[in-house]
Amino acid sequence: MTAGNGRRVGSPYAPHTDADEEAMLDAVGVDSAEDLFDIPGEVRFDGEFGVDSADEQELRNAMADLLSRNEELTEFLGRGHHAHYVPALVDDLSRRSEFLTSYTQYQPEIAQGFLQVLFEYQSMLVELTGLPVANCSMYDAATALAEAALLANRLRRGASGHRVLVPEHLHEGRLGVLENYLDGAEMEIGEYPMDDGAVDVETLADLVDDETVMVYAETPTVRGVIEERLADISDLAHDNDALFCIGSDLVALALLEEPASVGADVVVGEAGALGLGTAYGMGLGIFATREEYLRQVPGRLVGVSEDSADMRAFTLTLQTREQHIRKERATSNICTNQAWVALRTAMHMAWLGPDRLVDLATQAVTDARDLAARLDELSGVKAPLYDRHHFREFVVRTDQPAPAITNDLAGRGFAVHALDDHHLQVCITDANADAADGLVAAFEEVI
Amino acid sequence: MFEIPDDRKYLESHEWTTTEGDAVKIGISDFAQDELGDVVFVELPAEGDELAAGEEFGVVESIKAVSDLYAPISGTVTAVNEELFDAPELLNDDPYGDGWMLAVEPADTSEFDDLLSPEEYREQTE
Repeated sequence: MTAGNGRRVGSPYAPHTDADEEAMLDAVGVDSAEDLFDIPGEVRFDGEFGVDSADEQELRNAMADLLSRNEELTEFLGRGHHAHYVPALVDDLSRRSEFLTSYTQYQPEIAQGFLQVLFEYQSMLVELTGLPVANCSMYDAATALAEAALLANRLRRGASGHRVLVPEHLHEGRLGVLENYLDGAEMEIGEYPMDDGAVDVETLADLVDDETVMVYAETPTVRGVIEERLADISDLAHDNDALFCIGSDLVALALLEEPASVGADVVVGEAGALGLGTAYGMGLGIFATREEYLRQVPGRLVGVSEDSADMRAFTLTLQTREQHIRKERATSNICTNQAWVALRTAMHMAWLGPDRLVDLATQAVTDARDLAARLDELSGVKAPLYDRHHFREFVVRTDQPAPAITNDLAGRGFAVHALDDHHLQVCITDANADAADGLVAAFEEVI
Repeated sequence: MFEIPDDRKYLESHEWTTTEGDAVKIGISDFAQDELGDVVFVELPAEGDELAAGEEFGVVESIKAVSDLYAPISGTVTAVNEELFDAPELLNDDPYGDGWMLAVEPADTSEFDDLLSPEEYREQTE
């Protein structure tokens, strides 16, 4: 059926007339558009959603009932997602309509205000990493790591192969994304062992060779250990013409050695610890690197320039690296970024300021040490497992089965990770520190 | 009108080549630099690299576009204009002089016959 202009009724946005459609179907040799699809009947939408209708009040009641089934646990979880207290101003300011818009925040037309925020965010990363170039975000730590590996592979330097070396203790989510990216790029992943929770540098030395394009190390590690031999790892990488990539997070970077000073070529990691809740596993990926790799950086970069009236102006820059200009030769195929999340993180960091950011980081070390010491006093418990300095989290060895302890703790209102039969992982931050006494008491009861 | 000197030959993709002694120099035309606008970055092969006629040998990037560079002839790179790395605007200012890109020792001089004469290239750009 067509409307008066020859267009299909019900398709106001489709420019094709029935005659156009017929011509196209003729050209490809099928009778109807249906023939173009091969979707099994059982999974095809049949026009019925199968959802009962409800009015607003009924819906609210049903949702409240559903939500009441959630367990209200105090989380001591960590392992890549860290809860810190997010001040109310972050919610309030980030939801202003100037910022919270459905308009894409990565187009040239983006507002000056938002560009300035992203520039500030990049500047904060530059200060924390010591590296002169930072992009204005990646999806999360996993995509940032994968993009770092691709960057290293593009540079290749002296390498004859395409191998990236990662620690055996790597978050399974990060490893999964890395495998996915590298498979498409015909690269390979090699694992190096850890020794007492930190990099086994001597064994790593035997593994780094001229096939290696990048060595990746984390501080803190996924098990909370602060890596002490970053400079040695950096030397190993550079002696073999490979790039050295450090994974960290903004709070840790405020306290630990500056990555640039220990030879990092790229810094990746999770920035969502500030400004973002831990729900739904959402992240914000850090990406910082050396100036010589500027044209290899994935994602968006905001620069500062001058407009025609000689006023300071912010602008998305160096877009000739990107796929909308460079097509198949783009630096990266990542399409978007986490602009609004980066805005929240920048706000949180600005609210803290340098001193309180360092205080927060220091607290992450002392609280973890104190909590581990209290758990270590319990019989059948060794905490921390590794004789190292820790940041926020640590591994606990238990004589009794760890999964049973985790279950029993959940019954008492606490969530911790069970790593395997006899190891748990506990994470403490300013968001749950006041529940530490309760956790220790619950531990005592369940072991 | 764009400058199209008679002492060199051209490629449809706007590279030029000219013989200077034993070497063959390669660059991009006045028309190409004008189309690109302000050039901000040039990526070139290293001395000793091999070029194959018609294959990509580098990239030139302006504020609004990125273009691949194609080799007019096959041969070995004997010199690279490294000044372009620091001053890519030389390509805009003097594409046939200071903006030269590579000097190449040609592998097969008969390949010159396949290139466009100044007249043919002039017709293409009109």
